[in-house]
Amino acid sequence: MSMELDAFCHTLDRWLDEHAAALAPDRAMGTLDEHMAQLAKVKRLAYDAGFMRWGWPERVGGLGGSSLLRAYLGEALTDRDLVEPGIYSMTETLAPTMIDHAPPALAADMVPRLLRGEETWCQGFSEPGTGSNLAALGCRAMRAKQGWRVTGEKVWTSLAQYAQRCVLLTRTGAPGSAHSGITALFVDMDSPGITVRPIETMHSAPEFCEVFFDDVAVPFERTLGQEGRGWSVAMDLLPFERSTALWHKAAYLRRRLEDLVEVVPVDALDPAALGAAVQLLAAFRARSRATQYRMAAGERLGPETSIDKVLVASAEQAVFDLVEDGLAPEVLLGDGLGESRWRSDYLFSRAATIYGGTSEIQRNIIARRLLGLGLDR
Amino acid sequence: MDAAELDLFDRTLRGATEAHSGADLDAALVELGWHDALADDRHAAVSLLFEHQGRTAVTSGALDDVIADALGTDTAPDSAIVFPALGRAEPPAHQVAGGVVLEGLGTSRLLRRDTAWVVVSTPQGIVAAAVKTAELACRPVLGMDPDFGLVEVAGGATVVAPVTPIDPNGWSTAVSGARLAVGHELVGASAAMLELARVHALNRVQFGSPISAFQAVRHRLADSLVAVESARALLDAAWQDGSGETAAMAKALSGRSARTVARHCQQVLAGIGFTTEHPLHRYIRRVLVLDELFGSARSLTAALGRDVLTRRRLPPPLPL
Repeated sequence: MSMELDAFCHTLDRWLDEHAAALAPDRAMGTLDEHMAQLAKVKRLAYDAGFMRWGWPERVGGLGGSSLLRAYLGEALTDRDLVEPGIYSMTETLAPTMIDHAPPALAADMVPRLLRGEETWCQGFSEPGTGSNLAALGCRAMRAKQGWRVTGEKVWTSLAQYAQRCVLLTRTGAPGSAHSGITALFVDMDSPGITVRPIETMHSAPEFCEVFFDDVAVPFERTLGQEGRGWSVAMDLLPFERSTALWHKAAYLRRRLEDLVEVVPVDALDPAALGAAVQLLAAFRARSRATQYRMAAGERLGPETSIDKVLVASAEQAVFDLVEDGLAPEVLLGDGLGESRWRSDYLFSRAATIYGGTSEIQRNIIARRLLGLGLDR
Repeated sequence: MDAAELDLFDRTLRGATEAHSGADLDAALVELGWHDALADDRHAAVSLLFEHQGRTAVTSGALDDVIADALGTDTAPDSAIVFPALGRAEPPAHQVAGGVVLEGLGTSRLLRRDTAWVVVSTPQGIVAAAVKTAELACRPVLGMDPDFGLVEVAGGATVVAPVTPIDPNGWSTAVSGARLAVGHELVGASAAMLELARVHALNRVQFGSPISAFQAVRHRLADSLVAVESARALLDAAWQDGSGETAAMAKALSGRSARTVARHCQQVLAGIGFTTEHPLHRYIRRVLVLDELFGSARSLTAALGRDVLTRRRLPPPLPL
């Protein structure tokens, strides 16, 4: 651990201890609304105390320093159960995209709003006909005199119902132009013509949405990167999804596994399955730690982060398989807050091998890019 | 060692393991200064040598040296050591009147030395004792992996020199060191199996295309790489935090990963991999035996689970 990180961890831990009461949820957390309110509160307090600004460049309101500081902040907040990492870590994916690809003035204006918890942003990538095959997306952006006109549909857009902005991938080239005809836009979610419909999912938290765009006006100044180069914006974003955000996810898995072993009835768990899950989590953490250090050193993250993603998805399912096994009465029959949370976490873990690029897609990337197996059939 | 020295050392070890095995490799390791490296930079010396040893499926007495080094006795470099029996991690001997009774394993080095060191549980604590190898019942093992050159040791022996007390942590340090070494050897063997299967998949044409184009094949190989890299990451973590618990986890994961890789690669290599014309079988044999040394993946994993359930706490996380 470097000295800078060491000092940061120490100061942060002390601050979290001293402000435990102010940071704690105002009421029991059940609904997504309550989680979102808690997230905004914690981000605001952490921003005002400076912690939320470390690890981000000064030109977007940050205080500079290594991205390792962000990894630790998310870990510490998750470990204390102050935020849910899935919604917290959207910042880790979307802020770097703005910093790298938005016009500098736009990034300087917008990123602090996200860090402060004033705004929620969403990521409009997947479409009903475009899941794993992202390059086939069809949401159309047409050039008009005043700017882009966007028409199309996105799906699985997390937190769109809360979001003020959206990082949106659109088709600006000819239909069928695949990777080369995509442009990324930064869209105000209150623009006329946008309709958001939350999707009811089996884990009972409506965080995913369908988003409909009907001739929505987006100024040219809201283009991220160059016209037609949206694929590279998307490709730059994905490794962020698999670095800090996964570190936070693993901190959550550890937290929940710890919760489980504290309460699970003796003999309700197979020791071998428990041991294997502990090993898998430790291996993920070791692997991801190296990823965090490579990112902090300015290395460009690439297809090797697909290994991190496959590992964390396996770990998530292993942990919640244990939960469903060891706490069957709670997960299956319980209706209290804690029991509903176990059930929701368990059900959500079934999607760990689906969202953010399915495990099959990750294996294809590993096969092609890391093992040199060429194209598949 | 700095990066350039490490790279040179790595290449030297690669050359040695590609050219030598058994007693020859022991001699080559003395020649190239591996024992000095073991004293100066144990992590580099152990991880690099044992990965190459696993990758080339050669043998040496380096595991004896790793244990001797960790025990911190005056055992000379190049001594022979009796390990615990298959699947075990306790000292292989106990004290009886007039000597020791033991049950364990050794490398082929054991047969080339007049005396061997054996770690003994006594009512007063753990000691290292030198015994005459001629008095031991030694059986060169063929078994699953005849090329491994393991020796099964049993019976009683007199102690030929004053015994050396081992400090209370000495034996567990030795076990952790051995687990890391064997873990790296498992990872090296796994990486070699994956490379054999990868090359085969690219060259073997069926239905008009290399079988590497079929997802059923690609995904087995991708899962093998995930298995290799997760074991490697946990081994690195164990060096970093220096705890016996992490070393045990890393050994277990290396063993489980090697079995996963063996299963996938044997399936991808199919018919040719089932013959002795192809080298795959050597690695499969080797990893099955290595997994059992100093505790198997199955037993270490179950023990970890029982431990967590008893303490109702997870092992501490690796620091960022």
